[in-house]
Amino acid sequence: MAKRSVSVTTITPTATASGATNLADATYPAVLQGGSSTQRTAIIEIYLGGQATSSAPTYMLLANDGQVASGSNTYGTGQMDAALDGASAALAAPVKTGNTWATNKPQRSSSLHLLNLSFNAFGGIVRWVAAPGEEIYIVGNTASVGEASLSAFTGGTPGALGAHVIYETA
Amino acid sequence: MLSKRRHEGYLLIDHSNSPGIPGRTGKLESATYTCSHCPRVVILNPNRSRPRGYCPGCNHYICDHCEAIRAQTGCKTFKQIMDDVCERALKGA
Repeated sequence: MAKRSVSVTTITPTATASGATNLADATYPAVLQGGSSTQRTAIIEIYLGGQATSSAPTYMLLANDGQVASGSNTYGTGQMDAALDGASAALAAPVKTGNTWATNKPQRSSSLHLLNLSFNAFGGIVRWVAAPGEEIYIVGNTASVGEASLSAFTGGTPGALGAHVIYETA
Repeated sequence: MLSKRRHEGYLLIDHSNSPGIPGRTGKLESATYTCSHCPRVVILNPNRSRPRGYCPGCNHYICDHCEAIRAQTGCKTFKQIMDDVCERALKGA
């Protein structure tokens, strides 16, 4: 069990509809996709800190993805994934957390929105923490429960934000 | 005796220094729970007067959507669903 954090220093998410619409590369803070067909990962905490300099209603959603991403996975500017414990051994099959994909892009499920984290990125803060044993799980690496994305839903005028997602892989 | 409150998570949406969004200004600090039949997280509304969905099978609060399903088909937790997914993956089905 290794707790890790995927974070982004600053990003301005693009409002994207759910359903059959791609989440474009580097327009959302993070996606978490299982590293293997049987891997289980618990999402423990999500933090969003607004960085906009004027009012920016930003409708962030954590949701399972109806289409999982594929191809080479890389990190966008300011995005990174790090172990919370320096002694953690690297996973044999790391969770894919980058927001840039070479082939298929993630598509947010229109029926599996898990957390609505709407806030105003002009000074707003959102923090969600799961109780122990009550985490949100992704399992495997296929649609829909094998991948979850943190992205902006349509509406508002998304503003710059910084974010982290803390997760633990079994 | 263990309390159901041990299942509660925490949500903070702080617009103390922000204009907020339509319908939500100021600071919201609330308990949450994760439905045991699906992965949805429910923000507890302190003004709710209807009973919350409860599953005696898994001894856990569940969301309204799953409560409607539970009334017809019984208890099936999300962990059981995930186990089924893993089992099928292992068998290559």
